[in-house]
Amino acid sequence: MIAGDLRVFLTVSAVMFCIGVYGILSRRNAIGVLLCLELMANAVNLNLVAFARFSTGTMGQVFTLFAIALTVAEVVVGMALVILLQRTHRDIRLDVAEEMRG
Amino acid sequence: MNAVELAALTVLAPLVVAVFLIVAAPVRRNGVLAPGLSVLGSLVSLVGAGALLLRQIFGLDPDLTVERQWLVAGGETVARVGITVDGTSAAMLAVVTFVAAMVQIFSLGYLSDEPEEDRGRYFTWQSLFLFSMLGLVVSPNLLQLFACWELVGLCSYLLIGYWWRKPSAAKAAVKAFWVTKFADMGLLIGLVLLYYHTGAFEWGPGAVEQLAAAGSDPEKTPWVLPSVAVAGLMFFAVMGKSAQFPLHVWLPDAMEGPTPVSALLHAATMVAAGVYLIVRAWPLFEAAPVVLNTMAIVGGLTALLAACMAIIQTDIKRVLAYSTASQLGYMIAALGAGSVLGGFFHLTTHAFFKALLFLSAGSVIHAVHTNELSEMGGLWKPMKLTALAFGVGAAALAGLPLMSGFTSKDLVLEGLYKAASAPQPVLWFPFLACLFTVGLTSFYMSRVFLRAFFGKSSRRAYRAHEGGWSMRVPMMLLAVPAVAAGWPVATFAQTTGLFEPHIGLLHFTPVGGIALGFSVVGFAVALMVHASGGSGGMVSALSPLGDLIRLSLVDRAYDLAYRQALNIAAGVGWFDRYMVDGVVNAIGALTLLLGRWSRHLQTGRVGDYVYAVVGGLVLLAAWSQMISWVVL
Repeated sequence: MIAGDLRVFLTVSAVMFCIGVYGILSRRNAIGVLLCLELMANAVNLNLVAFARFSTGTMGQVFTLFAIALTVAEVVVGMALVILLQRTHRDIRLDVAEEMRG
Repeated sequence: MNAVELAALTVLAPLVVAVFLIVAAPVRRNGVLAPGLSVLGSLVSLVGAGALLLRQIFGLDPDLTVERQWLVAGGETVARVGITVDGTSAAMLAVVTFVAAMVQIFSLGYLSDEPEEDRGRYFTWQSLFLFSMLGLVVSPNLLQLFACWELVGLCSYLLIGYWWRKPSAAKAAVKAFWVTKFADMGLLIGLVLLYYHTGAFEWGPGAVEQLAAAGSDPEKTPWVLPSVAVAGLMFFAVMGKSAQFPLHVWLPDAMEGPTPVSALLHAATMVAAGVYLIVRAWPLFEAAPVVLNTMAIVGGLTALLAACMAIIQTDIKRVLAYSTASQLGYMIAALGAGSVLGGFFHLTTHAFFKALLFLSAGSVIHAVHTNELSEMGGLWKPMKLTALAFGVGAAALAGLPLMSGFTSKDLVLEGLYKAASAPQPVLWFPFLACLFTVGLTSFYMSRVFLRAFFGKSSRRAYRAHEGGWSMRVPMMLLAVPAVAAGWPVATFAQTTGLFEPHIGLLHFTPVGGIALGFSVVGFAVALMVHASGGSGGMVSALSPLGDLIRLSLVDRAYDLAYRQALNIAAGVGWFDRYMVDGVVNAIGALTLLLGRWSRHLQTGRVGDYVYAVVGGLVLLAAWSQMISWVVL
């Protein structure tokens, strides 16, 4: 029974992750990509919480809190990049920024 | 003062002067102070060396060696420096300092027209030269000797190239340097070999035994016996330094230096170093009979060939230069025949009379401003003293009785004769060559003497006059030992510990008689040639020989060999440029190509990278799934 509950959580998490991946691959808008990235990160967080819940100890939950804090910081950096992109290219679609081409 | 302090004073006085002159530039540029200091240094050395020699002669000092640590590696003393005082070194010290002091005093007058700065440079190198040679003479081991040996080479390079603005002088200096350096590689390799086998740089009987033991070791059968290899390599260095055929080519060119430099170089310092090395390291050479025989043959060949070359020279200094090579051949031949006394004694007497000859030639050149014999002539009238000095030197060189050269040359010939009839038939060639060369020597010296000082006066002779006191006095002083140095031969043998039987005050043997006969014939021929109107007849009589030598075959051979060496060097250079460098360059080019190709992978678009990441993830998942299928 317990294992069955875990499977539900993991399925939801996997679906979220796949939606995130699909979004990153299909989106051109930088903010959209960032959102999808967040979705993937939260899928992972959900995994972590679920595993922590179905095992002994609170370590996993503590790590999840850390991970959320880190994700916030990452979003800040991502948003800064988006703003810079807007300033330099007057556009936040990612395919306009290809100066790093080899 | 004890003997060692005295020896240290003798050796270090010129060094102190040289270092001071190098450091104190204003003093060096002073035309009075610098020469004065240099002469003072050499006089101090002369007094010290004279005192040492006297004490050795009267047996006041025992032979002793004082050494200090020099190179220490891993707690082990690798090399030492020190001073050895014994009869051999004391005699050599006295000869070197005397000749050097005379040369320096002579230089005061000879170079009086030079700019002050150049003169300072000249005397600085002279002092350094003297120190190097004295350090070599008192060396207790081969490493110190080698260091001083190289210093001697450096100083002679600097002094030969004194007029370095003249291309020929610069070229001659470089030539002397390269030829002797080439030969010195032999000494260096020999030293390393000696150290490898004996663990020290000694030349005593102990080292000989160790070398012999290394040669008889059944475990390792050496390609050449170590004793032969060491002695042979050292002899190669001697051939370069003491101008033996075929490495004599630098010596005549070295005449580009000022004449007093030639006197020093040819008498007591540069060329004497080679012979002295053999005398010093005699046990090492004695243990290698093959090398000794080679030495005798090379010496005999050099004596003969150089004398032939001296005959056809028209430059007074070049005649003397070839005669030096010839006389060095005598010394080497005597040493090769085992007559250390003969070789060493000829070295000392030769130092005196050759220095005298060069100084009087310098006096002539100073007066007439040319080296060409054809522009001299009739100098007897204006330059009686120089003519007398040159005559004394020539007589000693030709080996007239009672002259120093007679006794020493007689010892050489006698040593060769005895060794050849010992019997060592291979030594008949050097003996006969040396005997015949006596006649040639007498001929060419008489020719030069008659040509320069007698006969029709040239235009230049009318304006010629003797130099100042600084040029006259050294000639007079040098004439004394040039005559008398041969008399105390018994004392010399006793002091240096080189006993040979039958040495009396008036040394005269049948061999000496024959040699004297050759000498007289040579003089008579020269006189006849002179009487028949100069050298025209002589030159035409000898023209085939002259043509042969004028081709300067040896120089050509070197030229050819040098070209070959250049070709080889060019080949090696090509290999280096296109093969060794080529591999490196190819790797670089390949990397560049790969980079240029693979950079297109970097599109710069974020989406592509995401695709790559996701693709990688999918691959990773597939792979792990496959593993689990295979394992389970």
